[in-house]
This record gives sequence, structure tokens and C-alpha cells, in this order.
Amino acid sequence: MPLKKRESSHAPEGRAPEPVEVVVGELRHPDPERRWSAARRLGERPGAAAALAAALPGEADPRILEAIFTSLIRLGGEESAPFLLPLLRSDEAALRLGAIEALEAMPAALAAHIEGLLQDPDSDVRIFAVELTRKMPAEQALALLCRMLDREDHPNVCAAAVDVLAEIGSADAAPCLDRCRARFAGQAFLTFAITQALDGLSRTAT
Amino acid sequence: MNRIDIQRGLADVTDEEVRRLCEFVYRKTGMIFAEEKRYYINRRLAERMAATESTSFQVYFATLRADADNEIEHLINSFTVNETYFYREDHQFRCLTSTLLEVIAPKKRAGEPVRIWSVPCSTGEEPYSIAIWLLENWDKVDRYEIEIVGSDIDTTALRAAETGIYSERALMRLSQDLIARYFTRLDDGRYRILPDLSDTIQFTRANIVDAAQTGAHRNFDVIFCRNILMYFDDTSRRLAAENLYESLRPGGFMCLGHTESMSRITSLFDVCRFSDAIVYRRPLGDPHG
Repeated sequence: MPLKKRESSHAPEGRAPEPVEVVVGELRHPDPERRWSAARRLGERPGAAAALAAALPGEADPRILEAIFTSLIRLGGEESAPFLLPLLRSDEAALRLGAIEALEAMPAALAAHIEGLLQDPDSDVRIFAVELTRKMPAEQALALLCRMLDREDHPNVCAAAVDVLAEIGSADAAPCLDRCRARFAGQAFLTFAITQALDGLSRTAT
Repeated sequence: MNRIDIQRGLADVTDEEVRRLCEFVYRKTGMIFAEEKRYYINRRLAERMAATESTSFQVYFATLRADADNEIEHLINSFTVNETYFYREDHQFRCLTSTLLEVIAPKKRAGEPVRIWSVPCSTGEEPYSIAIWLLENWDKVDRYEIEIVGSDIDTTALRAAETGIYSERALMRLSQDLIARYFTRLDDGRYRILPDLSDTIQFTRANIVDAAQTGAHRNFDVIFCRNILMYFDDTSRRLAAENLYESLRPGGFMCLGHTESMSRITSLFDVCRFSDAIVYRRPLGDPHG
């Protein structure tokens, strides 16, 4: 029979973990294999979020970036979220998107920061924050977005919120959508989007 | 004080206790059990509480956390789903012989084996199906050494895989000719796979969200990892994808279940659309692993 059995896969023997500084140092190693391996191993080392996040801006290999974000997720939102939030302002699309994906995976930590993000002076950050509410419990997201719509003066941010409310909202969102439509009566794209959302929500309610 | 309702086989536990158990199972396996699975969870919990003679959830949870008498393994075994059959989603096996091996095999040096990993392999139907399919459908099968490894987190399933005894239902997609050539009918109506075939498959324990365990499984040319990622949350999927990526050789292929997509999990792999199946490939030329 051409099929062969080889006893080649054994569980690794237990070894004492390397000092975390050694693994952190590997994040800057010229060999991408070493950086990849270090990024993955640090996902099991509580306290490593700062070092992982610090390695992000200088890392050009998308696979290693992804491994760093995965490790930040594994370390948990409480430790990692403070390092991910500033990346929402990054000029690098890969870092912004990586941070959004990572924050989506830590809803409990996100809940502590989302209100602030929705009031950020930067309208792009507010739009990212609106996207992040998609992964939150619908009732919580609805309340946050309705409060935001009542104070938001940037039509693109409102449009992003309308888009999310159309997907997760209920008839409870109708009054704030009505008010937003009245405030932005001159913005044809936004009033159209709100009318569409209200139609959808009323159909869902009946 | 918790009790077990003997007639219904359910444990009398609170929502918070179910949540703690689910969190524990998640940390050990990556599997998410949502609220709608509460009945399923409760049945498994009641079985384990009865088996360990635990008089309350607190007593059972202490046993579990201490891993007394390998209770973690017993609990994980009770939570896994092992329902499968031979030649399931065989369009991927067609793809294996018509395309994937035609890409992989010519690059092999003399004596270098073609390595295939079936994970999770459950009770062995998939790795045995791969073996039978290769013997029946790949005309170059005699030219290469082929190593097939089947791995699962569930040690009870692995023991069943090594034993290789199956009901008629598991063989429903095999022709009578194949059954006659690769199985022996037992007195109780079940079928045992021929020892010549079962002896060629290596079975090992592996949890695909545990990098230390997948790290012991390397240099595969093809990985079949079907119908497991759908039970994971986003974080566990990402971790599993990275672990499987490391287990593949550069240029190696991965087959997922037909409802699963690696593209929604990670950008580590290239998508390959072949006539028989969509598979995912670890890019050639990158040095990782």
C-alpha cells in the first residue's frame, strides 16, 4: 500500500517560557519569520499589548500585522483597547482597519469607550465609531446612535448612523430620524437615506 | 443546591452558572455556545455531573477546574459533534486528485512524502475517505509516499477512529464494491475498515486553537479542516487560521466546509477557484513556518 504511517507528530515537551523581553525584542528582528513567531507568542503573554502595539507602525508585512492584531485581541480588550483606539486616527489604512476589526472583537471593552468615540472631534473617527456599534447589542447601539444623531452636525456621520440604524434599528429610532431629516432638509442624499430607513423600519414594525 | 432532574436528564443550574461553563469551554476549545443552545449545554452538564457524582454545579466546576481525573477532556468529548459519513463533500476529494496533487506532487524530491491532514477528523470517516479516494482515483498513487494524519480534540472519537468500526449509515455514500473491498462486515451488521488501511493513518490529538498543539503538526501539503470554524467566534477563527497557516507548507492548500470562507476570517491565504472546489492556498515564497 502506498500510504505510509509515520509517527512524526508529538506533543511538544513543556518548556519554561522565554523572558517576555526576549520575545518583544524579536518583534524588531530583520527576519520576518522571527517577527511573525514573536507576534503570535506574545498573544499568550499578558502585559505585552504595549509592545505589540508599538511594533505596528513600523511593520510592513501584512501577515505580521494581522498576527499582531490577533494577539492584541487574545490579550483582551481591557489591556489592548487603549492601544487600539489611537490607531483609528492613523494615516495607514491597514492600521485603521486592523484596529476596527480588533475593537469589534472586544465589545465589552469597546462599550467603555464608544460614547467618547462618537463625540470625537474628528468626523472620520466618529464614522468608524458608528461602524463599531454594529457589533454591539442592538438596543445599546440604537440608544447611542439616536443620541448622536440629535447632536451631530456632519452629514456624512449622520449618513453612516442612518445606515446602521436601518439595519439594527426599530420603530423607536423613527423620532430621531425624523428630527435629523428636518435638520438636514437641504442634503438630498441624507433625506433620501432617512426616508428609505424609515420605510424599512415601519415595514419591520408591522 | 443544584440537582439533576433524572427523568429529563437536565441539571438545575442558573444562567450565571451556564455562562461560566460556556466561558470555560470557550477558553479550552474556541467553541461558542449561544443562549439558544442552553438545552444542549444543560444535557451535557447533567451527564458530566452524574458521571462525577457532583452534587452541585459548584462541586462539578471545582472538579473541572482542577482537571481531576481528566475531567476537562471528558467535558470536551461530551460537547463535540461527531456525526459524519464517508465521502462527505466528495467534490473536494475530486479537486484533490484532479488539481491539488497535480500541483504538489511534481515538486516533491525522491522519498519526500505528500502529507495530508484531516482536522478535526472525528471518528475517522474523513481520513479514511481520503485514503480510499486516493487509492481509487489517483493514478500516481503508487509513485509517491503519502502520509495521512487525522487529528481531533475528542479522544473518545480518536479511539473510535483507530478502531474503525462504522454503521451502515456512515457508509451510505460508498458503492457496494468499495464497501466489499475496504471493509469487513461484522456479525452485528456494522463494518470494520481493513487493518491494512487503518494501519496507514496516524491519529493524534490536536486542538486547532492551541498553537502549541498545532505546532506539533507541520509541513502539510493539504489540510482538510471542514465544518469546525463555523462553531468558533471571530477571535478563535483568526487564531485557528494562523495556526493552520503555520501547519501548511508554503504553496499548500486548505479545504474548508462548503458554508465556510477563509476570506472572511483572514487575508493570509490566496483564494483558488478550481472547477471542483474553492480552496485556500498559503502563498508560495513567504518564509513563515
